[in-house]
This record gives sequence, C-alpha cells and structure tokens, in this order.
Amino acid sequence: MAVERFHFQVIIDNAHYLLVGNLAQGQIGGVLLTLLIALSSGLLALIIGFVLALLCRFFPRRLAPALGTLGELVRGIPLLLLIFWLYFLLPMLLGRGAPDTISVIAALALFNAFSVMLTILSGLAALPPGQNEAAMASGFTHWQRLRWVLLPQALSHILPSLVNLFVALIKDTSLAFVVSVPELTLVSSQINNREQIYPLEIFLTAGAIYFALCSSLTWAAHQLENRLARRQLSIV
Amino acid sequence: MIQFKKVSKQFGTVPVLQDIDLHIATGEVVVICGPSGSGKSTLIRSINRLEEIDAGEILVDGLSVHDPSRSLNALRREIGFLFQQFNLYPHLNVLDNITLAPRRLAGQSRAAAEARAVALLEQVGLSEKQAAFPANLSGGQQQRVAIARALALSPRILLFDEPTSALDPEMVGEVLTVIRQLAHQGITLVVVTHEMGFAREVADRIVFVDKGRILEQATPAAFFRQPSHPRARQFLQQLTSPLHLSEAST
Amino acid sequence: MKHYHFDWSAVWSGQPLTWLLHGVGVTMLLTVLSCLLASLLAVILLALRFVPWRPAGWLAAGWIQLFRNTPLTVQMLFWYFGALPLLPEGLRNALANGPILLGLPLPSSEMLTAIWSLGLFSAAFLAEDLRAGVRAVPFGQWETVRSQGFSTWPALRHVILPQALAHAWPPMVNQYLNVLKNSPLAMSIAVAELMYQTNQIESFNFHGIEAYASASVLYLLIGLALSQLLQRLGPAPLHDKGVPHGR
Repeated sequence: MAVERFHFQVIIDNAHYLLVGNLAQGQIGGVLLTLLIALSSGLLALIIGFVLALLCRFFPRRLAPALGTLGELVRGIPLLLLIFWLYFLLPMLLGRGAPDTISVIAALALFNAFSVMLTILSGLAALPPGQNEAAMASGFTHWQRLRWVLLPQALSHILPSLVNLFVALIKDTSLAFVVSVPELTLVSSQINNREQIYPLEIFLTAGAIYFALCSSLTWAAHQLENRLARRQLSIV
Repeated sequence: MIQFKKVSKQFGTVPVLQDIDLHIATGEVVVICGPSGSGKSTLIRSINRLEEIDAGEILVDGLSVHDPSRSLNALRREIGFLFQQFNLYPHLNVLDNITLAPRRLAGQSRAAAEARAVALLEQVGLSEKQAAFPANLSGGQQQRVAIARALALSPRILLFDEPTSALDPEMVGEVLTVIRQLAHQGITLVVVTHEMGFAREVADRIVFVDKGRILEQATPAAFFRQPSHPRARQFLQQLTSPLHLSEAST
Repeated sequence: MKHYHFDWSAVWSGQPLTWLLHGVGVTMLLTVLSCLLASLLAVILLALRFVPWRPAGWLAAGWIQLFRNTPLTVQMLFWYFGALPLLPEGLRNALANGPILLGLPLPSSEMLTAIWSLGLFSAAFLAEDLRAGVRAVPFGQWETVRSQGFSTWPALRHVILPQALAHAWPPMVNQYLNVLKNSPLAMSIAVAELMYQTNQIESFNFHGIEAYASASVLYLLIGLALSQLLQRLGPAPLHDKGVPHGR
C-alpha cells in the first residue's frame, strides 16, 4: 500500500472546527476549549495548591500528614480514573447534572493542586536553614518569614517547576477525549471518523498543535530558569 | 541583663548543657569560649530560643524568656543575633537586607529606615555597598552588613555565634574591629569565639565552657595569665601552641 | 446527598468479578510489557548520546522532545488509526487474528499498538531521567577514571553508569509508575484493561462508587507492588557529599 502525499486540504477544510469546535452553535471546542480547560484548572490548582502548602507549613503536625496522604491517594490513581470519579460524584454532590467539562476541570485542578503543594513545599525545604533562622532571630512571625524571606527565594526554583506542571496539564486535557468533551483530541477524532481516509494528516496536525504549545512553554520555562538563576547570583 | 538559672538541655541522651548558672550584667561584654562540642553555641542560641532548654530558667531583663506576657517575636526583636554563616537574604540588596525588619516589623517608613541603614553602613565601613547584593560581597563584608542589619532594630543585647569562624584570616580583623567599636556603648555583647586576642582586649569577662558546664569565669587578665581550671589551661595551651592547633581550631 | 446503598457484591461477585479480574490481568500485562519496551528504547536513546557522531545525539534529543511534548492520547490514536493501517496487509491480518508464536498467543493488534505507543512515550521520559543521572555523576569521577587509563566504554560500564543509574533510579521508578497510571488510555483503542472493565461494570449495574473505589484500590495496590519490586531490583541510593557536579 503506497503512502499518499500529505493531503493539506483536509486540514484547511476542518481548520475552524479544529480550532474552536462548534462555536457557531454556541459550543466551544477544539484548541480553544483545550486552552480554556488548561487555564481554568491551572489557576484553580495554583490557588488551592498554595493554600494547601501554607496549611502544611502552619500545621505541620496536625494537617501535613493527612494532606500528604490525601495527595498520595489522589496522585496515585490514574488521572483518567479521577476524572471518572468526579464525573460520577459531582452530579450526586451538586444534586443535579454537571457538564462533563466541569468534571474534567475539577479533576485536573484537584490532581495538580497536590502537585503544586508538593512543589512549593520542596522548594521551601531546599532553602538553606540559616535563612529561616536569621528571619526568626529578627523576630518575624511565621507568615512574615514566608512572605518576605523564604517564598521570594524559593520562587526561583518553584516557578520553572510550575511551568512544567502547566505543560503536563495541557497534555492531560486530552484525557477529556475519553469522556466526550470536545477538546482538540476529540475533535480530531471526530474529523477522522467523518473523513475516514486521512488519519495521518489529522493526527499529525493535532500532535503538531500540542507540540507547538508545549515546546514553546518548555522553552519559556528554561529561559525563566536561567534568568532567575542569573539574578540570584547577580551576574547581570 | 541576662541570667541563666540551673539551665540544662539534652539532645536525646547526650547532655549538651548541664546546670548552667550565669549572670551577665547590662552593657557587659562577655566572651564564651571552649573546645568544639562544648555547648557554647547551644548556650547562646537558647537566649533567643533558637534552641529550647529542657530544665531551668533563662531571664532577659528580669523576665523569663518563656513568660507568656512577652511574645517570642517581641523578645527576638530586642536581641540581635549574628550567625557564623552570616545568613544575609540573597534576594535583597544590602540596603533592603537592613531595612526589611524596621519596615515590616517596626512599621518604620521607607525613608526613615533607609536613613538609619545608611548611617549604620557608615558605622561598619560599607557606605558604598548600599545597592550591592550579598553574592557580590566578601565574607567579611557580608558579616559587617549582618551586624548593621542586627543593629537596625536598636537591640539592647547582641549575640555573636562564632562571627569570624567562617572567614578567611585576612578578613577576621575588619569584623572584630566593628564588634570592638560596639563594646561599652550600652549594648550587652555576648560573643562565642576562638579569637583570644579580641577576648583579651575587649571582654569584661571570659566564660570557659566544656562538655556543657561552665568550668571557669574570670577577667581576661586573670584568665590568660593563670587559668585555675586544668581543662582551661589545656585549652589555652592548644590554642597558643602551633602543633596542637588542628585540635583546637574548629 | 441522596441516600446511597453500598453493595460491594455488585463488583466482587459474578460477571463483574470476572470482568474486574480480566481487567487487572490485562493492565498488568500492558504495564509490564510497556515498561520493558520503554527501558530498551531509553537505553538506545542514551547510547545515541555517547556515540562519537554528533547528529546521533541530536536525533535522540529531537525524538525525546517530540514524544514528550505531545499527549499520549494523540500518539495512541496516531499509531492505531494512522500508522497501523500502513503496515503491509499480510502482517496486519496476522496480528489481527492473534497468531501463535512459539506456542504462545500474541496479544491482539490493539494491545500491541497500545504497548508500542505507551512504550515509545515513556521511553522519552526515562531517557531524560537517565541523562540527568549521568549529569549528576561528579565531574571528578570522569577525570579520575580517565587518568587511570580507562577508555570510554569500560569507563562508562564500571564507574560512570552504575553511579548514573543510582542517581536516576528514583525518578525512573516514578516513570514506571506513570506507565501504570497511563495504561487506562488504552481503552480509547478498545483494549479491555481495568478502567474499561470498571466502566463496563458501572453501566451494567450502576454501582459506580463501588466500582470506582475498587478500581482505585486495585491501581494503588498494583502501584505499590510495582514500586516495591522496582526498588528491590534497582541500585541502592548513593551517598555523595557535596562534590561538584555537572558535565
């Protein structure tokens, strides 16, 4: 069986659907939906994760072990299973049906919140203990130490890790395909089912879009890491 | 004024401080010395509760350091602490290192805090380094900035935990000069150090500690001329005799 | 919250139990075979970096970037819908009918595609962990081994790689666990692994909570067993004391 030439036309014909889904009918999809899911769950994860990290720092004996175990459970099962859990539980908890997209956002936010928590905690733990001692000796309260001395320093280690988490998040949005949320992967699959004879073109294009998004963010993370490292050493 | 009353502390089963009784008068300059592992660091760190004691009492200005009526942070703001590793904040320049506590703890305005910081930098001889970052300073310069930082809150007590032990020999002098200038200005100075020349010139009293006990307290003149305790004699001998230097210098 | 009646026998008896156990078997097979393939490929990718010919290293780096920056879902769909049909017809038919090789039944073409896809995807991450492990070996080690007169391959084999592996092992164990946690994606190309079976039970008798809870416990247990096994199989952690690193 001969390999056909790459058939660009099928991509061009379906470009609008790939990019924004059924926007004309008021249904967001495609790349747009992928970005919306990633950004909203990312933001939620960041906020919740930050709060969880603070809780672990302020209540190391009472809350930290429980949160640690909870994190192990949430991150120890497949993310897809977590999506199914919330897909099933959210309607029960809310008393009514919830859009599938919300289940996906909730699952991604929950999973990544614990990742953010761990990233922040390990970033703080990596600081020289003398910093905390110096701040303590001046009489700063716990919160003041975190705010003015520890977090600013840990940030240079934490930020690149957070960007990497976001890159993984963008890739994980494609899991929504399994629960029929019309993000980029499902949309590509639908186009493939319709067109039938151009699977290579369609999936390579989808892959290329993800690649463009993820690799540019990874590159940005490297740049960020380098610039932060340079600033710490003051070799400006 | 600092007072230790029958203070003891253990790390697990190992006794680190044993029945410490010590009285330091306001404005006094006390040097604490002893072999490594003698507990002198723990002793000084328990004054501002960087280490917690297991038994006994420590009083600062007549009030126990554990007294609930004075918060721990309030206590620490009255006491300046200098570390062997300086511990300047690397993400802040020199001026910000010094003004952080006055602005965020004492509520001073940026202008007032910076004016005082500039004066302190002049006092320690580093006026031109305001905008520099710790990474660009030598060890001696960093420690002097640390002293300015500690002075910024106008503490009544300054504690020095081996301030020159991490410095190259040629920088030890500049730091000791600054500390010496602070002596007898009304601030109580407690210095843990091996620098016996400094002790001889500046201290009002030498406290010799070994294995968690105070073995001898004397004026520098008495201590250096004729220490009474045999361990103190042995210690001084090790410090002054070159061939024994490796054991004493830690 | 509505009053919910827990019924564990809805999952752990009869038809559902059969499905569940079948799913566990398929998941474990999928995971183990993908781990093996991924390890093999990761070693090849690492070796490409040590080959004297520079473009080999670029090839490896490019490959790794490609597979790390696209989702596994898309990769799996690509291999199944895009690449599989490109195979010669004879081979495809042979795979589809589950041939016997050496007396053992080969997995279906769906399963093989899933193993292939999961293996390739995971290899990219493993290769990066191995590379980080090599970079973590202190520079002094390279200098010492050279000055003793070792040439490249013996140097790698006796001194550098054992240390690199010891550094890389904890993140690698994590990646192997990720293979397990990524295995449910195979259900999108009709592999009847544990997640697929769990959903099947749910749509069969609507006891979703029991089904998902059981699946969660099973995944956690398999993960625990896998992690214990790998820690025993792998090198013990090294203790190095702040020696300057990097290459």
